Amino acid sequence: MNDGTNEAAGSAIAKLPLAAAVVALGGLVDSVYLTLHHLTAEPVPCSIIAGCETVLTSKYAEVGGIPLAAFGAAAYFIAFSLAILSAFGNRSTWKLFGVQVVIMAVFTGWLLYLQAVVIGAFCQFCLISALTTFGMLAIFLISRFHSKR
Amino acid sequence: MKNEPTKSSGIPVIIIILVLVGVVVGAWFLYNGSKGAGNKTVSPTPGTSQTKPPATVNPNAPQGATPPNVLGEPAAPLTLEEFADFQCSACASAHPVMKEVRSIYTNKQIRVIFRNYPLPMHDKSYDAAVAAEAAGLQGKFWPMQGQLFSNQQTWSTAPNYRELWNGYAEKIGLDMAKFQSDVAGIAAKSRVDQDIARAKGMGVGSTPTIYLNGQSIPYTEVNVPAMRRIIDAELQKTAGQQQSAPANVGK
Repeated sequence: MNDGTNEAAGSAIAKLPLAAAVVALGGLVDSVYLTLHHLTAEPVPCSIIAGCETVLTSKYAEVGGIPLAAFGAAAYFIAFSLAILSAFGNRSTWKLFGVQVVIMAVFTGWLLYLQAVVIGAFCQFCLISALTTFGMLAIFLISRFHSKR
Repeated sequence: MKNEPTKSSGIPVIIIILVLVGVVVGAWFLYNGSKGAGNKTVSPTPGTSQTKPPATVNPNAPQGATPPNVLGEPAAPLTLEEFADFQCSACASAHPVMKEVRSIYTNKQIRVIFRNYPLPMHDKSYDAAVAAEAAGLQGKFWPMQGQLFSNQQTWSTAPNYRELWNGYAEKIGLDMAKFQSDVAGIAAKSRVDQDIARAKGMGVGSTPTIYLNGQSIPYTEVNVPAMRRIIDAELQKTAGQQQSAPANVGK
């Protein structure tokens, strides 16, 4: 494992958590927007062509009356926090970050399945969230690859 | 493996707190700003489209269910015709608006027609329309319509939705044996199918779509103040037309 004896590699690893923090921040903003939209937006007419926000008004959009996006926002905030702590040198938080993004990626996969197969419709901002989760996972995997070299 | 000590170990915590505060404060302002807007502003997520309804009613469109589900006198100068889907959340949102508008004007001023237009993406909306028409066969279409829209969130995701509908039917005092027979029968379905044919003939592409004397009302105007404005203007116009043409009696 790289304990920082290779300065170049150590520097690269420090930047990766920073990049992950930026991506997590994007996911956080996206999730907060979706949460607010869920809570405040008036329903849009249902179009015979484009549907009517099928994903965001489906039963899967809430858990116990709480918008699913709110849970996403919490997850992104935690990921952001772990990434920022890691960027400033805390290695144990980077491992926790890794565990979290794997869980988030698995859950995201399930949400994509729901949209594609069960609901039969996609939500644009939900896809952005999926992208940010997989982006964080990719960054973490790259960091593991660097640390093993 | 040891954690590397950092000179500025407080900085990440400060950053995290700042982001948290920024998100909470920003969300709070946005949330209150949306709630305080007052007017019914449609804010779809980017990427969704709203189909514009045809501006005027096609006179060659099929008649729809006859007699229609109507409140108000046949001689009323204004006709509000609404095409709606019982599983459409925007239609449920428009329901209290339509109900309040109905209460403001007399039966002599305005008649309100409801047309079923269940959309294909909603798995229960056709059956809901049939249930409403079955209630209508016992003279209780409007109470059942109210029950379905008011409880839409409950039944639209419930596996036991038919039991819930039976509950609504009992609540409004329907003969349950007749109700269930009519739900399974042809008459109620036929009325729904006739309304669908009218909607398609008119090129209605979304729900709710509302026409006032044949002119479509934009969904952004489907709120009580805007509809009052539109209806009052139309009432004045028709009153003016009647005054200027006293020979046109009993249209």
